[in-house]
Amino acid sequence: MSSLTYEATGIPVESEEADPVNRRVELLLGALASSVLLFIAGMILFTLFKAWPSFAANGLAWFGAGGNVDAQLTDIFNSPADPADYIYKLRAWPLIWSTILISALSVLLATFIAVFSSIFIVHFAPGPLQKLIEPVVKYLAAVPSVVYGLIGILVLVPWINSTFITEEMRSSVAYVIQLDGSSVMAGVMILTVMILPIMIALIVDSLRAVPLNWREGALALGVNKWRAVRTVSVRAIRPAIVAAAVLATARALGEAIMLAMVTGSIGFAPNPFDGFLFFMEPSRPLAPSILDGEEGLSVVPFGETMYAFGFILIVSCVFFSFSGWAIRQSLGRYSIGAR
Amino acid sequence: MGIESADEVHDRTESGIPPIKRIVVNGEMPPVRVSQGEANGAPTHIAESFVIDQGAMAPAWTEERMKVESLGVRFDRKEAVKDVSIEVNSGEVLALIGPSGCGKTTLLRSLNKLVDLTPTAVRSGRIMLDGQDTDLMDDTLLRKKVGMLFQQPNPFPMSIFDNVAYGLRERGTKRPGKKELEPIVVDALERAGIWAEVSDNLSHPALSLSGGQQQRLCIARSLAVRPEVLLLDEPCSALDPISTAIIEETIVELKSEIAIVIVTHNLQQAERVADQVGFMYLGDLVEYGSVEQVFNAPMAERTKDYVRGDFG
Ligand SMILES: Nc1ncnc2c1ncn2[C@@H]1O[C@H](COP(=O)(O)OP(=O)(O)OP(=O)(O)O)[C@@H](O)[C@H]1O
Ligand SMILES: [Mg+2]
Repeated sequence: MSSLTYEATGIPVESEEADPVNRRVELLLGALASSVLLFIAGMILFTLFKAWPSFAANGLAWFGAGGNVDAQLTDIFNSPADPADYIYKLRAWPLIWSTILISALSVLLATFIAVFSSIFIVHFAPGPLQKLIEPVVKYLAAVPSVVYGLIGILVLVPWINSTFITEEMRSSVAYVIQLDGSSVMAGVMILTVMILPIMIALIVDSLRAVPLNWREGALALGVNKWRAVRTVSVRAIRPAIVAAAVLATARALGEAIMLAMVTGSIGFAPNPFDGFLFFMEPSRPLAPSILDGEEGLSVVPFGETMYAFGFILIVSCVFFSFSGWAIRQSLGRYSIGAR
Repeated sequence: MGIESADEVHDRTESGIPPIKRIVVNGEMPPVRVSQGEANGAPTHIAESFVIDQGAMAPAWTEERMKVESLGVRFDRKEAVKDVSIEVNSGEVLALIGPSGCGKTTLLRSLNKLVDLTPTAVRSGRIMLDGQDTDLMDDTLLRKKVGMLFQQPNPFPMSIFDNVAYGLRERGTKRPGKKELEPIVVDALERAGIWAEVSDNLSHPALSLSGGQQQRLCIARSLAVRPEVLLLDEPCSALDPISTAIIEETIVELKSEIAIVIVTHNLQQAERVADQVGFMYLGDLVEYGSVEQVFNAPMAERTKDYVRGDFG
C-alpha cells in the first residue's frame, strides 16, 4: 500500500526501517562528540603522566603547607643535571590557597552583582538605558585581560597602597612580607570586573526568557514587582545562574596574566586571622605561577612541577563543570519538562 | 436582582438544545460534590444534578464594588475596548461573552491594571473600586483585592503546594509557616475540584500536570488568597463536564461573599452561573443586562444572533 502511494505521488512515505541518512548523521555526531571527550581525557592523562614525578616525590604533602614555596621552586629550578639528583620537594599550599581564595571571592562577588544588575537591566531600567547597557556589557566581555592588568598595576594597586594600607599594617607584617598594594584585594576586584560581563550577559538572556505570564501570575496575586521577580523569575533561572558561575569559575581559575601583574606574585598564603589586613597581603595563584615559571620549563623537574600545577587546574575545572551540572539537575526539578 | 429562583429557564426546545437548569445554592448549605457515577451517566444533563434545594434563594443583596466608566484601551492604533461602562457587584456574577478578539480579556486585565504592563497599551476612562479611582491606588494593593485567573494556565515552576501557597507567602511581610498554610491550600484545591487528583503528592512539579489540571491549579491559586473581586478568564475552557460543574458550583458558592466576573465562550455556562451578562463585539459593549434579558429578550440584533448561535 505504501509503495503504491510512493509511486503515485512521488512523495517518499515514511518507511519502517531507519532512514539511512539520518543514521549516518547520528553516527557522525556521535563520533565527533566522543572524539572531543577522548581528546579531553587524553589531555588530562598526558598532563598527569608528565606531572607524576612531582606528585610521587612529595606524596600528599604536595598539597600541604611548609617552608617557602618560592624558595622550593628555585631549588627545583636549580636541580643538578643528573636525573638521579633531581630535586622535587614542594609544598604547594600557598599557591592552592591563593587560587581558591581569589577565585571563590571573585565568583561570589560577581554572582551577587551580576544577578542584581541583570534584574535591574531587564526589569527596572528605563528602555533607552537598557538598550545602552546591554551592548556595552557584552563588549566588556571582550576586553583582553592584559589591559585589565595594566589598569590594575597603574591605577588600582597604587590606590589600594595609599588608601587602605597604614604604616602600622606595613610594620606589623614587615618581618614576612612587604605591602605595596599588590594584593588579594586587587586581584579579586579586577577578576570580578573581568568575569562580570559574561555572567551578566548569560543571566540577562535567561531572565528575558522567563515567560511573561509567570510574572503576570505573581503580580495578579497582589505580590509586588520586586518580590515577583525574585520569587518567580530569579528562582526559575537558578540553573542559568549556576551555569554562569561555573563558567566564571573556569575563567577565574585560568586567569594568569592579570593576576601575575596585580597580586604581587609572591608565594605567600594570606592569613585570614590577620583580619582586614588579609586582603592587603600579596599572593600568587597556580595559573600565574605557571606563567612565571615559563623560562624554567627546559629544566626537567621544574617542567614537571608546572605540569602538576596544570593538572590541578584541569581537574578543578572538570570538577566544577560536573558539580555545576549536578546542581542544575537538582534545581531543574520543577522547571518545564521536569518529571 | 439576581435572585432568580426560577430553575427551569427558557424555552430552548425549538433549537433542539435541552433545557438548562440554573444552579442555585443556598448560602447555608454545605458544599456539594458530584460523585463520579452520578455524573458519568448523562453528560448533557449534568447541570440538573446540581440543582439543589430549588426554592433556595441566592444572596438577596448586591453591593457595588467596581465601576467602569467609559473605559477605552488601545494597542498602538488598534482599539481593543471602546467606551465601555459596566458595574461589578458583589453578590452576583457578571459574565462577559462575545466572539474571539472582541476585547473581553483586555477589559478584564484593565480591572486589575495588568494591561498597563503591555508597553503599547493606552488606557482611558476611569475604573473605580469602592468609589476610589484605581489609577490613584497602589497596583499591588488593587491586585490584592482584585484577583485574576488567566486564560492560559500559568502555574509557576514549583511544586503544587508552593503554587497554591505562593500568594499567601509572598504578599505579606511575614511568611506564614507550612502548618498555617496547609488547611488553606487544601481548601482551595478542593474548591477548584482538583484535590482528589493531587492529594497524594503535593510536592509534585506543577508543570507536569495536564492542561486541565493546571487550569484548576491556577483557580486554586487565585482562590487561596481570598480576593474580594475575582476575574475569571475562561476558567473552564479546557475542562471536562465534571470539573466544569465543580468550578461552577464554587463560583455560585463564592458569589455570596465576593464579586465575580467570568469570561466565557460557553453560553450555557453563562446562563447557569451569571446574574448579569455583558455582550461585547469588536470592543464595544453591545448589550448589558440581566441574564434573562440578554438571553431571552436581547435588544440588539447582534446579541440576538450571537445568543441564538447564528453568528458569523
Ligand atoms: N498585547 C497586545 N498587543 C496588541 N494587541 C493586542 C494585545 N492584546 C490584545 N490585543 C488585541 O486586542 C483585541 C482584543 O483582544 P482580547 O484578548 O481582549 O480578546 P478576547 O475577547 O479576550 O478574545 P478571546 O475570546 O479570543 O480570548 C484583539 O484584536 C487583539 O488583537
Ligand atoms: Mg481572551
